[in-house]
Amino acid sequence: MDPILEHKLLATRRHLLGTMAGGIGAIAMRDLLGATAAAPPVATDLMAPKLPPLPAKAKRMIVIHLTGSPPHLDLYDHKPLLVKHDGEDCPAETIAGKKFAFTSGTPKLLGTPRKWVRCGASGMELSDAIPNLHRVADKLCLVRSMFTDQFNHAPAELMVYTGSPRAGRPSLGSWVTYGLGTENANLPGFVTLISSGVQPNGGTSSFGSGFLPSVYQGVQCRSKGDPVLYVSDPPGMDRAMRRKSLDAIKDLNELQSRELGNPETATRIAQYELAFRMQASVPDVMDISKEPQAVLDAYGATLGQSSLANNCLLARRLVEQGVRFVHLFDWGWDFHGTNPGEDIRDGLTKKAATFDKPAAALIEDLEQRGLLEDTLVLCTGEFGRTPFREGRTASGGILGRDHYPDCYSIWMAGGGVKSGHVHGASDDLGFKVATDMVHIHDLQATLLHLLCFDHTKLTYRFQGRDFRLTDVHGHVVRGLLA
Amino acid sequence: MSRFTIRFVIVAAMSGSLWAVAEAGAGDLAPSFTRDIKGVLSNRCIRCHGPDPEGRAGGGDEGLRLDTFAGATADLGGHAAIVPGKPDESELIARITSTDPDVVMPPPDAGDPLSPRQVDLLKRWIASGAVYEPHWAYVPPKRPTTPEVKNTAWPKNDIDRFILARLEAEGLAAQPEADRATLARRLALDLTGLPPTPEEVDAFIADPAANAVETFVDRLLAHDGYGEHQARQWLDLARYADSAGYADDPQRTIWGWRDWVVRAFDANMPFDEFTIRQIAGDLLPQATLDDRIATAFHRNTLTNNEGGTIDEEFRTVAIVDRVNTTMSTWMGTTIACAQCHDHKYDPLSQKEYFQLYAILNNTADADRQNESPLAEIPWEPVDAQRAAIKREIAEIETGIPLLAKPAAKDRPEPPEFQPARKILDGLRTKLAATPAVTVPVLQELAGDKRRVTKIQLRGNWQNLGDEVAEGVPIAFSGPPVADAGRIDRLTLAKWLVDPANPLTARVVVNRIWERLFGIGIVSTSEEFGSQGELPSHPELLDWLAAELVARRWDTKAIQRLIVTSAAYRQTSKCPPDLVARDPENRLLGCGPRVRLSAEVIRDQALAASGLLSRKKGGPSVKPPQPNLGLSAAFGGGIDWQTSTGEDRYRRAIYTTWRRSNPYPSMATFDAPSREVCTVRRPRTNTPLQALVTLNDPAYVEAAQALARRMVREGGAAATDRAARGFRLVLARGPSSAEIERLVRLHDDAAADFRADPADAAKMATDPLGPIPAELGADAADLAAWTLVANVILNLDETFMCP
Repeated sequence: MDPILEHKLLATRRHLLGTMAGGIGAIAMRDLLGATAAAPPVATDLMAPKLPPLPAKAKRMIVIHLTGSPPHLDLYDHKPLLVKHDGEDCPAETIAGKKFAFTSGTPKLLGTPRKWVRCGASGMELSDAIPNLHRVADKLCLVRSMFTDQFNHAPAELMVYTGSPRAGRPSLGSWVTYGLGTENANLPGFVTLISSGVQPNGGTSSFGSGFLPSVYQGVQCRSKGDPVLYVSDPPGMDRAMRRKSLDAIKDLNELQSRELGNPETATRIAQYELAFRMQASVPDVMDISKEPQAVLDAYGATLGQSSLANNCLLARRLVEQGVRFVHLFDWGWDFHGTNPGEDIRDGLTKKAATFDKPAAALIEDLEQRGLLEDTLVLCTGEFGRTPFREGRTASGGILGRDHYPDCYSIWMAGGGVKSGHVHGASDDLGFKVATDMVHIHDLQATLLHLLCFDHTKLTYRFQGRDFRLTDVHGHVVRGLLA
Repeated sequence: MSRFTIRFVIVAAMSGSLWAVAEAGAGDLAPSFTRDIKGVLSNRCIRCHGPDPEGRAGGGDEGLRLDTFAGATADLGGHAAIVPGKPDESELIARITSTDPDVVMPPPDAGDPLSPRQVDLLKRWIASGAVYEPHWAYVPPKRPTTPEVKNTAWPKNDIDRFILARLEAEGLAAQPEADRATLARRLALDLTGLPPTPEEVDAFIADPAANAVETFVDRLLAHDGYGEHQARQWLDLARYADSAGYADDPQRTIWGWRDWVVRAFDANMPFDEFTIRQIAGDLLPQATLDDRIATAFHRNTLTNNEGGTIDEEFRTVAIVDRVNTTMSTWMGTTIACAQCHDHKYDPLSQKEYFQLYAILNNTADADRQNESPLAEIPWEPVDAQRAAIKREIAEIETGIPLLAKPAAKDRPEPPEFQPARKILDGLRTKLAATPAVTVPVLQELAGDKRRVTKIQLRGNWQNLGDEVAEGVPIAFSGPPVADAGRIDRLTLAKWLVDPANPLTARVVVNRIWERLFGIGIVSTSEEFGSQGELPSHPELLDWLAAELVARRWDTKAIQRLIVTSAAYRQTSKCPPDLVARDPENRLLGCGPRVRLSAEVIRDQALAASGLLSRKKGGPSVKPPQPNLGLSAAFGGGIDWQTSTGEDRYRRAIYTTWRRSNPYPSMATFDAPSREVCTVRRPRTNTPLQALVTLNDPAYVEAAQALARRMVREGGAAATDRAARGFRLVLARGPSSAEIERLVRLHDDAAADFRADPADAAKMATDPLGPIPAELGADAADLAAWTLVANVILNLDETFMCP
């Protein structure tokens, strides 16, 4: 369909929903509860779905963040010359005047020990650590020319998701939810899922709302315990009892509302009703036992775990239900070589297996459900890893790489990006971007563009200034757009 | 989205200027620069035609400036942007009215053209001479005369004259005083953060004295909980937390400073003294330990302990944060943009930014993991342990003097000393493992260690420009600094609270006003510069600022003045036409009704239920929070061992504040992470908040305790028990309809719970514990009362300061 026409139709549909007292969900619930004509005044709220300012390619987004930063030179960017010069001193010009986190002096070049395969119709070269992604290479948009300004984890991660290396700014997901609202009021609009037992480098700030209202912050959902904090009624209370207590709250609030006429009371009544619905809808969407075994197998998901596999599957379930933004964080990608798990040979093979299978399954699953075309998927770390051996571990038997901000690789899929496409290139040894540089702020501008925003206009007034995700930088990278 | 929803779902980040109400209408006299013109220029022109020379567009070589009279009227080769008195000859008017996309200003990609009203105002302003006025907030306040009012019976003090004069000018009336019970709850929550007891409310209602309110207020101002409540806002400004920040976010011991703040508020330390000690207590002559503890204000900056970080990089980040925090906290001025370039809207240069930076750049702290320099502070429980260990060591050493020296290879000890040596070594290890409590402090570097400050080009700490000397911005036309010698932190501190400083007193009274009324006289309490909102009552703001200085920075006195005013005491029951006319209640035609802070919501539930501990001070505590099963990046687990005994029920201000993982139930109610200075918290109204107060075990426990109190204190009748619960939380007595609804819920639930004793037992006791026998209530009955208590703790009214 013509995107502009589609946009207009969507506008009309949303307008109708928006004016119908809280939309379909609210009506259905009232029916369900046998409510009479005295329906509660349901206020639309900050999370109401909003029209994109421009026709959008992507309507929702999933981020897979590999916390610690994967060794891109052993996954995505094959450098034969680096292999040829493996073990030699880094050329002076490649390291002159640079500081590295754990490396000083003249380090030794480290050629990748991985095997490489040309994949799909595009012939995109990927390493043997990620065999499942080979299958979906023609869906990927691989960027080999990324660079950032930060080389420590926490500032770099905040840079990727908030546009600033310092805590305090809103994250990408909160900007998007602020701009677009959510399609399903019964679920949080922005959900975060964390695997491998460690939270992001930036703490909750990596999915926080900064100075935006807290309603836009990522709500952390979990596959163990309460899927959302405090979503379960207390011990000894069943749903009918909760309903009775909420009815009393509503009746008493309405008495008060009539007395004082304060409109916020009506808003609170609506929020309590929404909370009641979330108590049902959140556990439901988080319950992957409802998936067929074949789907669980495709992702490698196991009931009761909090793995990246489970979280990829949950991401699909969530976006399918209208959640706007799903942010996955998976710990354990900091391949320094300080232990066998951080070796770019066996260690990487093992870690990558927990990632590439569900990531590939997610792309295929989204496509099968017709969701890939308007769901933007991004997979990245906070920076790249050095073309040389990390200083502390250089004399040992384990092969590891240090943090590297100057040139690295990420990939995207779906949601209006080119597929089966490689954007940009690193130089022969992988030290610098050779062509088509993409800075973090450029990536952010492009992501927002795909989600229909002009990144210079998605702003929020705080402390007398209009803040934006890209600060005062960023250009949309046209070469990434389908 | 309806107007009401916008207002009440989020009451922050809002508000158009009320000056609009009184703006110059068509055909009136000359428009006012401050009221009518400055905002248009600032929002639509100054970004490209302002103080920042970089990227300044138009005009001659220097670019066109529209923020000054000289710039706007400069000869541009036979024409000028503004020709005073002659709008038709002014290029500015030609540009803003042009229909040619290549000529029109602002350019089409910068948004819509100016509205006809804006064009008309600019034309008339130029016709009247294009008088520029300095930015109001940079001109020191003069004490205005109090205005005359028609209804002379209403005002209780001068504040009311300013409020009423404005209402009368708008043809509006004020509301009558709120009833005593409502007023009691409002005052107690606003001044102490704790609800009044029913007995206190009864006494207040029964007090026939004409000054009953003043008496009640004075009791609250002297209340033991006053300082804890007042400190909360200051901790937000100071970005106080119990962790160091960044990825691993390790524990930081700095609660000694938090206790200093609480003590300062309790003792009503004058704000100028409060300021000087925190910015430069260490530089005072004969600085005391307390003076040094106070300087931890700026040691609340983050420390990055992540492996592979360069300490100097993150030290400079901390200094930048100290500059920004100082200017936000004391001068309501966002200066952060000047770190990278001259300010786009206000006359603050990058050089001036680094002059301030230079003042703060010479302390000994340097992003070290051990947080040095530290000051040891007395803390009885630890000091007693250390004293006991030291006593034992001394006893052994006195008995066997040889052991006082460490064992050495060349000096073998007699074998019979071995056991004593072993004990002694053990004691010394124990002593080392029991360090005295410390607080990180500011400590000025000595002569040869002092750092040179250079401008950081584009804010990059490695890309340095010219050297700069210490100095303060000239834009604020403030007091001169230091006639002779170096400008140091002490000079800065005194400059901040000099009566000639145009901003500090205004900023301080505005924050007090904001806390009491929910919105400041300047709604953008964090920004008094050109991009901030104009004050709703500029004369009142200046009057209060003058009053604060005249009363020697006595903030308690200012609060007393405000809360005893008729404006504050009005009922918050607003007539619908007034709500429609002034939805944000900027004119204060009725009393405030403001959502309580995260801390007060928690404290109120604990206090009403009788669980609250009133223990003050000391290490932060760990009330129950859900286990997440996660670790911090490169750090330890983020789950914690819940504190036991009364530490489970301390006031929220004592809850351990871990930046990477703020206490979840408080974060849901908009408590910030405290990584940066927070001047103003948003106030949202979300379903996740409902889940907290309905289901968080801490709130369930409070409901169980409240239920037991209702049974214990309420008498035998269900109606009395319900009323008791209602009054414990809301201070007022319930209406008959309210009582009926609560009792109906109780009876209905009790029947259900009788049918399911297992559920009843859980509802009544998990997590609070077994039902005390003397209560004489069965589990089903108590479970039902728990449900009722949970309902009372979740009423809209419960979350609002009434």
